[in-house]
Amino acid sequence: MKTICLTGGRIIDPSTESDEKRDLYFYDNKIISPKDAKNTEFIDVTGKIVFPGLVDLSCHINDLSGGNCENIFSMTRAAAAGGYSTVVLMPNLNPIPDNPATIQFINEQIKKDACINVKLTGCLTKGSNGKALAPLGSLKNAGVVAITDSPTSPQDNQIFCKAVEYASMFDLPVIDLPRDLSLSEEGNAHDGPIALKMGLGGYPRIAEELFVQRAISISRSLKTKVHLSSISSFGSVDLIKDAKNKGVMITADVSPQHLALTESKILNYDTNFKTTPPLREEVDRKFLIDGLMNGTIDCISSSHEPVKEYEKNVEYDLAPSGVTSLETALNISLQQLSKHPKFTWINLLKFMSLRPSEIIKVEGGGLGVGSIANIVIFDPLKKWKYCSKEGKSRAFNTPFNNSEFSGKVIQTYFKGKASQNIT
Amino acid sequence: MGIPKWKTKNLLGIESLSKIEIRKVLSLAKKLKHESPENQSYLAGKRIVNLFMEPSTRTRIAFELAAKTLHADVISIAEKSSSLTKGETLRDTALNIQALGADAIVLRHSSPGSPLLLSRIIDVPIINAGDGAHEHPSQALLDVYTLEEKIGPLDGKKITILGDILFSRVARSNFWALSKMGAKVTLAGPSTLVPKSFESMGAIVSHDLKESLADADAVMLLRIQHERQSSSHFPSLEEYTRIFGLNKYRSKWLKNDAVILHPGPINRGVEIDSELADSANSVILDQVTNGVAIRMAILCLCTLSYNK
Repeated sequence: MKTICLTGGRIIDPSTESDEKRDLYFYDNKIISPKDAKNTEFIDVTGKIVFPGLVDLSCHINDLSGGNCENIFSMTRAAAAGGYSTVVLMPNLNPIPDNPATIQFINEQIKKDACINVKLTGCLTKGSNGKALAPLGSLKNAGVVAITDSPTSPQDNQIFCKAVEYASMFDLPVIDLPRDLSLSEEGNAHDGPIALKMGLGGYPRIAEELFVQRAISISRSLKTKVHLSSISSFGSVDLIKDAKNKGVMITADVSPQHLALTESKILNYDTNFKTTPPLREEVDRKFLIDGLMNGTIDCISSSHEPVKEYEKNVEYDLAPSGVTSLETALNISLQQLSKHPKFTWINLLKFMSLRPSEIIKVEGGGLGVGSIANIVIFDPLKKWKYCSKEGKSRAFNTPFNNSEFSGKVIQTYFKGKASQNIT
Repeated sequence: MGIPKWKTKNLLGIESLSKIEIRKVLSLAKKLKHESPENQSYLAGKRIVNLFMEPSTRTRIAFELAAKTLHADVISIAEKSSSLTKGETLRDTALNIQALGADAIVLRHSSPGSPLLLSRIIDVPIINAGDGAHEHPSQALLDVYTLEEKIGPLDGKKITILGDILFSRVARSNFWALSKMGAKVTLAGPSTLVPKSFESMGAIVSHDLKESLADADAVMLLRIQHERQSSSHFPSLEEYTRIFGLNKYRSKWLKNDAVILHPGPINRGVEIDSELADSANSVILDQVTNGVAIRMAILCLCTLSYNK
């Protein structure tokens, strides 16, 4: 086996905050020191950016078998094409991972079909129906990296509070997509002027903010961690900022869709813009970007949610929400954040690789000697157009179809092995 | 009589129409209303399909009568008698109706935006007969027609729409139509059913009944759709009547010759006193009659501007 040396590139390591032109050596599945290199194959990456594989905290695929839509095979190929080496699968799967046997079954599927690391979350409540706790300790033993009922949230405060307390005994991260259903059950769009005009039921900011506050209060009182998924409201950003200033162990992520788009996009009832939580107003979008840049929001999660074309091609209020986003998440985030005065590549990679790997405690986020060789090569000058039907994902529900981007992932190494046919 | 040109084959809502287009519908409706029925075979040989996925009495019958008067063949489909109960999607139902040779589809549906969805999929004209809480353009056009008939040009007139605005497609379409015709439109009712954010559309919002009715030239009452709302929007129908119901005493706040409109169905004794609904100021039945002429005009404009 040969050592591989990526030579001439700009190597960015968010874990050491280094951004420098140097050579990067790896052998088998580990990054090695140049002095240990033997029998080296040099790959010229001059002009390219090299960084650790991205880590995603919020990926959905709904149906494990995929039917005629996304499955583990296609999802992981899409993820690799987007620069990801680890994705965390949410539990809204069929079958639903609320017991060890199902988790074992799903993990076998993953082992068979995945070309990158796929980590599974378990349900927080049985069947994710919010009524009774799932066997969290057994789920942890079966290999889940976190528990969550995403894309819903337990509505019963007692259940949620006890779940957080019980999970902390196993040091098992809790992920919550904050949503008070009593205020948003019929909500198909942000409760603002546009939904009002369009006659769509509103999903107000307070439906999110009340549950953000719930998570903060529980985290504070139990002195334990809670991760909030897919924050969308400017008020949530304020609440999290205050909580972090007081030392509360709360973390949060935001989706690229919410960094890039606002409610004005839904004016034509295009269901590809329907997301949970909904796209909100410009003020929210600005707060979310600033929240990332000032450390309030920890990371960017894809919220990849493939939906069959015919399922999206229905009345707006009846259409499932979701965006297929693994192949565009990096470009969209780069596009939105690079205009910010505080933007650096180190920051972006903290949001998309280092922080998520810390939150769920998986390997990744760095390129130090001894680290796993999950490496992305990115060509910053390559121009390309995203056409969903030509992508790796088997789902086409994207608001970014035919978008033109500058910069592209041209190779992803997973455990030292190159993914094929990315470009 | 010549049928004027119409820029699009569809009627999806009032928001996208110009004042000139609204005037075109009103003028044609006026001609059709006063023309002898024997000469009205404008749509002879055309097939109009009424696809009504929600209960409707007035609108469905008015569209049927309008089409029959114009000598069109009319087929009415209700949700319960269609394949939608067998799981067929709206898209597939509409594609089938098109394949069967329809010349226009009149759609009533509970989902906002559903007529727009269909118009993207199929070629035949789509006429929106009410889509969720979004728009009900034919109702707004017949209301403007009736108002002009009764109180003259609407420019500068104060018109109040009172009741459940939040869940009402009639309120939205009427707001667009009346304000395009130059009226000053006030949306009134309890704060939970008339949120302040309606001001972003350019409406005046009032939660004070006296203020909203003062010197109004017309008031349009909307039914309280108690079957749609959870109890959280207002405490009870009794309380609604006490605070916002229109009765004889409160009607004196209006201008003397002000007219009272209601798109129906009326809940007598709730949003309006029974006596008032039958009074000389009430134009409720004129609305219904004018509804046929307006729908004749709409069917002519949309269907005849469409070339297969």
